[in-house]
Amino acid sequence: MKKAGLILAVVIVFVSSVFSQVLPNIPRSETLIVDNLHGRVANPGNFNVWIPGALTGHGPQQMVLDGLWYVDPQTGEWINSLAAEPPIYNDDFTKMTVKLRQGLYWSDGVEFTADDVVFTVKNLKNNPGLNGSAEMKQYVKDIYKTDDYTVVFELTQPYTRFHNLFTSLIYSTTYIQPKHIWEKVENPLTFTFNPPVSIAPYVLDSYDSQGYWFLFKKREDWQRTSVGQIYGEPKPNYVLFIYYGADDKKVMAQTRHELDMIFDLTPEAFEVLRNRNPYAIVWYKDFPWAWMDDVNARGLYLNNEKYPFGIKDVRWALTLAINMEEVLKTAYAGIERVTAIHSCPTEYFMDLYYKKLEPWLEDFSLEDGYKPYDSDLANRIAKWAESEYNVKVEDPKSIWGMGWWKYDPEQAEKLLVEKGFSKDKNGRWLLPDGNLWKISILAPADFEIDATRLAFAVADQWRKFGIQVNVETVEAGVFWSRDALGDFDVVADWGKITASSGVPDIWTFIQGFHSQFLIPTGTPATNPNVIRWKVPKRVDEIIEEMGTLHPQDPKIEELTLEFYKIAVEEMPFIPTVINKKFSAFDNYYWTNYPSAENPYMTPSFWWGEFKFMLPRLESTDRK
Amino acid sequence: MILKVFKTYIIPRIIQYLVVIFIGITITFIIPRLTPIDPVQAAINRLTSYGGSYMEPAAVESLQKTLKELYGLEGTLIEQYLAFWKHLFTFDLGPSLSMFPTPVMEIIATSLPWTFFLLLSSMLISWIVGNILGGLAGYFKDKKWSDVLATIAMSIYPIPYYVMALILVILFVYIFPIFPMMGGYTIGIQPSFSWAFLLDVFKHSILPAISLIIVGIGWWFLSMRSLTSNIVAEDFVTYAEFAGIPKGKLLFSYVMRNGMLPQITNLGLQIGGIFNGAIVTEVAFSYPGVGSLLQKAITNGDFNLMMGISVFSIIAISTASLIIDLLYPLFDPRIRYK
Repeated sequence: MKKAGLILAVVIVFVSSVFSQVLPNIPRSETLIVDNLHGRVANPGNFNVWIPGALTGHGPQQMVLDGLWYVDPQTGEWINSLAAEPPIYNDDFTKMTVKLRQGLYWSDGVEFTADDVVFTVKNLKNNPGLNGSAEMKQYVKDIYKTDDYTVVFELTQPYTRFHNLFTSLIYSTTYIQPKHIWEKVENPLTFTFNPPVSIAPYVLDSYDSQGYWFLFKKREDWQRTSVGQIYGEPKPNYVLFIYYGADDKKVMAQTRHELDMIFDLTPEAFEVLRNRNPYAIVWYKDFPWAWMDDVNARGLYLNNEKYPFGIKDVRWALTLAINMEEVLKTAYAGIERVTAIHSCPTEYFMDLYYKKLEPWLEDFSLEDGYKPYDSDLANRIAKWAESEYNVKVEDPKSIWGMGWWKYDPEQAEKLLVEKGFSKDKNGRWLLPDGNLWKISILAPADFEIDATRLAFAVADQWRKFGIQVNVETVEAGVFWSRDALGDFDVVADWGKITASSGVPDIWTFIQGFHSQFLIPTGTPATNPNVIRWKVPKRVDEIIEEMGTLHPQDPKIEELTLEFYKIAVEEMPFIPTVINKKFSAFDNYYWTNYPSAENPYMTPSFWWGEFKFMLPRLESTDRK
Repeated sequence: MILKVFKTYIIPRIIQYLVVIFIGITITFIIPRLTPIDPVQAAINRLTSYGGSYMEPAAVESLQKTLKELYGLEGTLIEQYLAFWKHLFTFDLGPSLSMFPTPVMEIIATSLPWTFFLLLSSMLISWIVGNILGGLAGYFKDKKWSDVLATIAMSIYPIPYYVMALILVILFVYIFPIFPMMGGYTIGIQPSFSWAFLLDVFKHSILPAISLIIVGIGWWFLSMRSLTSNIVAEDFVTYAEFAGIPKGKLLFSYVMRNGMLPQITNLGLQIGGIFNGAIVTEVAFSYPGVGSLLQKAITNGDFNLMMGISVFSIIAISTASLIIDLLYPLFDPRIRYK
């Protein structure tokens, strides 16, 4: 029996050594293994990222493509990548000059020059259907080079933010094409750009024909890339983007040190991971662990065109009927950062705007004189966390946010009664016409789980308040179609106004709310104003004035603060929490990821900016 | 005689086959278009959903028009329907809307062999093993081992497949890391028709196949056992026993042959159903196939890919049903075309 057991053990060890190696042909210690947020890519051989709807976050934009500028939202750092310096505008913003970085080469040995930039813009402009085509047509009158490293854009109209089209504020940007490859292409829409000629420090080594993994290898001439020039040699010789499957498979993989960077986990999955893998860290080493500086915030987005959400007091009543402390505990286990204003509470924006607004918020009152702001929420959560998780947090507001709105069902009731609402004998709210007030909250079914949790948690709060609420969870295709159409009462959504970046300028995110772009419910929105908020005239004026100012004009901050105040007064939708992430990084083979202790850049490896993290990682020298 | 069979049975049956396909495809064309999914909006959302490009309203409007044209979604429903049939007769299912402009045929052709290989082989293995064991257990139903087998089958069969799959993954991928965690072949290997690659593919398919075989055997075993235990009690079997027919011949030529008839029908229909893929298997084992393609197509509102996979499935199941109907007299001499 003992012999049989020994034989069995040997067989298992032998077999597992044959089967279980994730990379049998490449040294594990030289490879960074990264989660592919897109899942299985069904057309893996297509690297033409300029087609609308093309996926980019599974390696192409991080490893082989590059853009002119990037802004890091964690630090606010401006990065001149393919460009040598920031954009240079003429006095009336009708001309933009770009000085390009010299000494950069495509992976096939051809030098990167102004010809590539000029070609890219003309190619996009002349081919409707390519990403960026509409904007290039709208704004670019002419583009030419004055020498091999200087490009001049002549614009059709003054545009102070034209450079944003070539700047990665969030996730991606307009990437530059190699002219010597693309000029031979007959149909840019069907060209697969395979293998992609790289301008970044890696090249495509191989990929799974079924789309589960993509392997990139460091270029021998990495010094001839922007990353090499700015930050030095990227440390991993190989980077593998891989999709293991659902959270459980990712946890298993990282526990076995076969996955270094995970996109996002539920708190429950992370709890399992951290109990099994002491090397797995997200942002904070201890509670609350999660990274809470993603550039979008979530909220309950109310369709202002649907009765009764068009009534400001009704929106405020719904806000005051939410016990955010309970929502944080029940839906998020206390791991979230709140936002009372229609913005995104990243560390950068909290310093820039939230702290400046706090005195105004504390003094802010509704029409009846009631002051709704609660600046103590973070402290109460900190006390709870102390007993629940045995942690002491020194600065609760830096983690849980500056404050939110009071939980005051009595005040909420007062606001509704004044508008003709009433309650039946069972305590259920009735509309002024006597009908039962029913609200449906649209939420994602199998993605953005935090939005779904928000929907259910708030539904519970409103039910307690006496409203009949149901939550409709739908698949992505249905969700986005209905979101754009305004086919909802309330949607657990994110972004739109509540987006941020590493620059103070928010014009990019709010310009679509100008009343000229308002599209009625039932027609797909061409702007982020899916809630059909009919903005006050002053908001139109703010947007118009912001649009004429340079993004670095100090007046931008002043106008932004005024915008946030108006949004608070109007409360067109209810902002709630930031898009926190449990992006778990395994420190077994690699270390020095961005973290709370060393926040040198955003940890968002799914963004194009990931390439700038690679020189800063350190190998642990484990084999 | 043969002409009569053609006129009275075969031709009407073929016409019925074509009508079923026509109706099936038409329904599959209409239903997605009745849902609130807008493929154009889904594509625009893919541009913006990762906090990505905040496009200007004018650019979004322009893109909406362009995509509608590129995706072939212009025109009335009737016009789109007629255009679809026109392309179908040239085996052109159009481009995938979520993976534009990759042709649907290309996407399906890449994934279908994996589905076919995995599902066909595991289906045949479970069918053969399940029917043999079930036949034996039904014939020798008084034996203790028959009861033991039946108990095991009845315990395994009700286990939901996704639970079974998860148990296998945890046991043989995580706790005892014998099998790979994901994929159809090892990372870094180039697909080819070499023995090394084929062996690697085989290794990656073992665990997903085992999961399908275990559950499949349960069903075939129980159904065959039930069938044979009824047949054993029939008069002709009793007469054959008295007539001194050897037990082996009795079992296989008398009892199991009669029990096989409905099993053959079921097998035929299940083979046709292969073209739907096995989404739970593909998700649980991160194994390539058309199942996960179909799921992504539905969530992304990719009408063309949905249609493409459905067309294959409808044709396959209808064809399997037709073939079984036409070949049935070969299995059962009692049946004649009428």
